[in-house]
Amino acid sequence: MRKYWEMMKSQIKLDTAYTAWYWAGSASVIFRMLIIYAFWHAVFENRTTVGDMSLQAMITYTMLATLLNNYMSGVGSQLANQVRDGSVAIELMRPYNLLDKLVALDLGSKISGTIRETLPMLLIAYLFLGVSAPASWEAVPMFLLSALLGILIGTQLDLIIGIMAFWLDYVWGLRVLGGAITLFFTGALVPITLFPEWLRVLSGFMPFQSMVFVPVSIYTGQLSGLVALQALGVQLAWLVGIIVVMRTVWSFAIRKVTIFGG
Amino acid sequence: MRRYARLYWQYFKTRIKVMMEYRIDFLIGVASVFFTQGTSILFIAIVFQHIDTIHGWTFQQMLFIYAIAMLGRSLEHTFFDNLWTLGWQYIRPGNFDRVLIRPVNPLFQVVAERVQQDGIGSFIIGLIVLFTSAPSLGLEWGAAEILMLIVMVISSGAIYMAVNLFFATLSFWMVDSLPVMYAVQQTSDFARYPMNIFGKGIRFVLTFIIPYGFTAFYPAAWFLEDSGYRHTAVWTPVVAFLSVAIAYLFWKRGLRSFTGTGS
Repeated sequence: MRKYWEMMKSQIKLDTAYTAWYWAGSASVIFRMLIIYAFWHAVFENRTTVGDMSLQAMITYTMLATLLNNYMSGVGSQLANQVRDGSVAIELMRPYNLLDKLVALDLGSKISGTIRETLPMLLIAYLFLGVSAPASWEAVPMFLLSALLGILIGTQLDLIIGIMAFWLDYVWGLRVLGGAITLFFTGALVPITLFPEWLRVLSGFMPFQSMVFVPVSIYTGQLSGLVALQALGVQLAWLVGIIVVMRTVWSFAIRKVTIFGG
Repeated sequence: MRRYARLYWQYFKTRIKVMMEYRIDFLIGVASVFFTQGTSILFIAIVFQHIDTIHGWTFQQMLFIYAIAMLGRSLEHTFFDNLWTLGWQYIRPGNFDRVLIRPVNPLFQVVAERVQQDGIGSFIIGLIVLFTSAPSLGLEWGAAEILMLIVMVISSGAIYMAVNLFFATLSFWMVDSLPVMYAVQQTSDFARYPMNIFGKGIRFVLTFIIPYGFTAFYPAAWFLEDSGYRHTAVWTPVVAFLSVAIAYLFWKRGLRSFTGTGS
């Protein structure tokens, strides 16, 4: 456990060293928040609710969803690169579990991202963009737990895409494709409650809404009490299920390494 | 000029051969861009299920703005994608020195060395969206309108390209300006919405500083009778020309101060 802890810390240090990407990332989040702000204000111009959500609720939802959606990509590309240039063979010989290492690096990145990006952005959103406080006191711990589960699901899905590099050359395209689909079905663009019936039913069968929609809805109070607890249970089930799938795919992928002789 | 055309054709043929070699990658790439653009359409469609207009703009008008943006972007994406790699594939590993010793315009070489097939995805969806939205704009589609549409789309693509070229050029001083390019490109999303929903500051920047406004909303406004922006829309080709000229001059300036990384 200790070695993974150290890896996580090294990733945090690494992230703080690359300031150009930090500023670029922060700038693009601010741009997106400005667009969201102007767009929804224009939508609510002549009305007080859209699909029973007020402007305030919509702004709170979409801003938080945008921030949370930033966590949905991760170390998958690093894995894909290692597969591509062959260094994965050496990685596999080293005295750690490569997947655990990647998850540790991923968490390190996300912890530094939370402190350096998300928290300042959240502050800006509270002060200038009219994001409201959590619905209730008990929503806070539930939101944090739910967000954590969602982020962990995101990490696993990202790793699955990364593992695809064992079979496909062009993982970049697959990542863009995955990004587009998750951006929509996680509810990061519009709350899933606004989806047409059939699409809402469809997303109920997919893990994506556990990644953004569930945590943010707990925050805004759209999901509360028993329903919220139930949603947390579903998230946990998805997380376990996806970990199992990921590890299975991984065991198939590893066999391929030995086939072409490392 | 003829020599360059012939050279480009040679480059193009090799790229097509590579493309044919990796067919699954081709499909994934095209699908990825198609769905990325598609989700933004789905987003607008869902919002319009609950409302009729946004600040006076109808669903069809919004789609039309998107269509121009997608078509313009697809030109840039397909033919000028290599500008993104100037820093990390040319300057940092020392490959740019190889480009410089050849007796062909360095910018031409960088651009021609890659045709990004993924752009086709946004071209296809752009056309679909265009054909679904254009008939309901209440406009007579004659030869003049179609010609204007082509001019506008090419101008839009040229502006996307010029902005990228300008910020890619910074790589000559900072080795890799990819983060800057990325951040700047994010602002192009603003232009996909009617400009009058934004505040004065944003409008000013997108009209006069980084002219992304002319990649989607302004050119689209030319076809929207009551948009009130037709007089601005006419400037689109001029803005495109100026952007390309400024970006190219800046590139020349960067080229002169390029010293290599020593790797």
